Amino acid sequence: MSHSISRPLSRRAALGTAAAAVPAAVLAASGRAAAADEPRPVERIRAAAEVGRVRLTWEGEAYHPLVDHYALYASRSRDFTVGPDTLLTKTVYASFLHDRQGGHRQDWYYRIVTVDASGARSEPSALVEGHSAESVALSAKPIARVGKYDHRSLGFALAPAGYAQYKDRFPNGVDYTYGTSKPETDWSYIQPGPADGWAGNRESSTTFRFNLDTVPAETWLSIWLIDTHATLPGSLLISANGTAVPEVKLENGATRGSLEGDATVPGTLLKPSYVELALPRAAMRKGRNAVVIRKRTGSWHVFDALGVFAR
Amino acid sequence: MRSPLPARRSFLAATGAGAAAFALGTGHAAAKETVGGKVPADPFTLGVASGDPLPDGVVLWTRLAPRPLAPDGHGGMPRSPYTVDYEVAEDAGFARVVQRGQAVASPELGHSVHAEVNGLSPDREYFYRFRAGTELSPVGRTRTAPDPASGPAELRFVAASCAAWYHGHFTAFEHLAKEDPDLVVFLGDYIYEYGITGTNMWREGVPLPGPEHAVETTTLEQYRLRYSLFKSDANLQAAHAAAPWVFTTDDHDVQNNYADDWSETGIAPADFLRRRAVAYRALYENLPLRAASLPNGPAIDLYQRRRWGRLAQLDLLDNRQYRDKYPAGQVVDDSPERHDPRRSILGDRQEQWLYDGLRVSDTTWNLHVTGVVMAQIDRTPGAGSTFSNDMWDGFPANRDRLFSAWKRHGVANPVVLSGDIHRHVAADLKATWENPASATVGTELVCGSAASDGDGADTDSSAKVWLANPHVKLYNARRGYLRCRMTPTALTSEFMTVPYVSRPGAPLATAARFVTEAGRPGLNREV
Repeated sequence: MSHSISRPLSRRAALGTAAAAVPAAVLAASGRAAAADEPRPVERIRAAAEVGRVRLTWEGEAYHPLVDHYALYASRSRDFTVGPDTLLTKTVYASFLHDRQGGHRQDWYYRIVTVDASGARSEPSALVEGHSAESVALSAKPIARVGKYDHRSLGFALAPAGYAQYKDRFPNGVDYTYGTSKPETDWSYIQPGPADGWAGNRESSTTFRFNLDTVPAETWLSIWLIDTHATLPGSLLISANGTAVPEVKLENGATRGSLEGDATVPGTLLKPSYVELALPRAAMRKGRNAVVIRKRTGSWHVFDALGVFAR
Repeated sequence: MRSPLPARRSFLAATGAGAAAFALGTGHAAAKETVGGKVPADPFTLGVASGDPLPDGVVLWTRLAPRPLAPDGHGGMPRSPYTVDYEVAEDAGFARVVQRGQAVASPELGHSVHAEVNGLSPDREYFYRFRAGTELSPVGRTRTAPDPASGPAELRFVAASCAAWYHGHFTAFEHLAKEDPDLVVFLGDYIYEYGITGTNMWREGVPLPGPEHAVETTTLEQYRLRYSLFKSDANLQAAHAAAPWVFTTDDHDVQNNYADDWSETGIAPADFLRRRAVAYRALYENLPLRAASLPNGPAIDLYQRRRWGRLAQLDLLDNRQYRDKYPAGQVVDDSPERHDPRRSILGDRQEQWLYDGLRVSDTTWNLHVTGVVMAQIDRTPGAGSTFSNDMWDGFPANRDRLFSAWKRHGVANPVVLSGDIHRHVAADLKATWENPASATVGTELVCGSAASDGDGADTDSSAKVWLANPHVKLYNARRGYLRCRMTPTALTSEFMTVPYVSRPGAPLATAARFVTEAGRPGLNREV
């Protein structure tokens, strides 16, 4: 996974965002309620590239004056107008994950307006450029896949909400062989963790078997998830033919993916996340290979797709 | 029965009174002045309220919002300050006005007004109203607390909690408003942060609010809008206009299960504090709180001690802002970490403040107002034990320290008021939870929800677990409120219910009545 910090570009004029003045006498009488400051644009905006998304962070005064929210404006075009048509989101946080961009790299341009408790708006921040990272699922040569990399879990067994049947349908976990197994019957949309009472409060495992005609220079594993548990996402213990890779701590999700399976629905609460890593070359071999994913901590995660790719 | 509230009537144009108060809604004294232009028509759509009764005054509240559901959260008000006049009278007809003043409704505070009125007489009823331009507010009724040294014959209070507007009609508030109480104690979850959609909109006969209400509240404009939506309910407005309120908070005023700067959805602490700041700001703007509770960034001073003569001390506690997070990451468990003696639901400073206040208490009753259940509730009675770490059960060392303070200081008649669970529950507080024969050291009254969880029923699937704890004497899963009469000799508590809230007009019933005798902690059931 590559990360880059984009360079801030020159500040541009605010368009229709001039803040009306608050009478000085009122501000003087306001005590803690309102500082004499008008809201200021945020600074040090960073745009980190991740698969399927851009992670934006910035810095700015939060409390004096109290920030109601930051209005984020975004466009695929560098020369864009700050206005209702380019409003991406409003957030009170000093960060935003611009996600659901799919696996192909996308380039974006951002400006941020600070809106305070009185409704006053700062001028827009400096223009910042960012982009999402290209997924190996789209840029590398596929070897074996299950799922469509489409931010949906709907094609898998038990999807979208049959988690309660996992214990009976997959008592020993999932053991899936690419080429012979079927996604709709043999690959559970959900993999539980020991925090899940409905799955017996025990460790689970998912095995993905595939053949290699030759061992590529780089063998990449790409796992897209449509959601994880909000407080106990847990970690993935991944091994390739018995050789472990470093433990992958999952991101907190929204605890919705166990019940709904489409993260492309407008307004969905689902929080997709992505795990992409190179498998150890020494562990890969010609012929039959197996990747095992064990869940020994936390709660469940829900798959969008899993695949092995050559690069 | 006191006289009914009068209809809106002409405001006495006498704003030149010497008691003018003027400063961004806080009611602090300042020179007479008028700011703002023409006030938009019908600005009092969110009603009026009073709160925090002291022997010599109360805080009066309103918020100018001619279009309360304007999506930007500013209620349809221009981004300018406006002068609001208020007056307080001894009679419902405003023939005997005793206070007049001014406050400024500013855009920084969502055009809310918090006018702190002083110089009133103790233990008596007053009426109040506001004027903005030529617009007059509805009339509210309030009352002052008795003189601290006096011995009141009674305190008649009602308690309410958990008012999920979208889960049902506020029929409980409709009945509550007719109780003519001295005081309303609100126990948390005045709003809910969840998005309101067709899935959770169970209030029949009311259109689904617009898309700006369909997402979880995180920004100030969203929290403001959520308060506006809930406070647009006429029954809630009537309950506010009927009596002064005091408050504790719980989690949904900010986010489900939050603990200090910890969010269960993994929001980074620095970001979550920004959200907490706007949630607390909206809470202040929409409740009758004094300027002392005006938030400073992500901090709000909410815990406080009040007194009803020599009859009762009320310790209003803040059980969210300073609490430790889950001991081992789980809501329900019995982890060793749960028993860490350093764990606190109140935080060190509030704990010490509480014990210091209890040490010198000289009242007949000592009310502890807290958002979540204090009694130990074993969730897996029988083999093994588990407990909810979201309640006081997550902080057994803190609870033990409190009970020790009661014993050490000889605190008279501790009574705990709590909410959170949407169920009416009554429990004896035990010296040793596992031994039903051990001393009962206090009494807990858990007030069910006003609307949260919809219609409900007398019992439900959780009743068996709760009632398996032998100190639990009542479990009822209907909506309603708690009605109490406290005298120097007894506390009578009645758990009031309505059979449905999905549609309006439900009748009121008494699900249970208990008497707690002064000097003899615990519950004696009458009904």
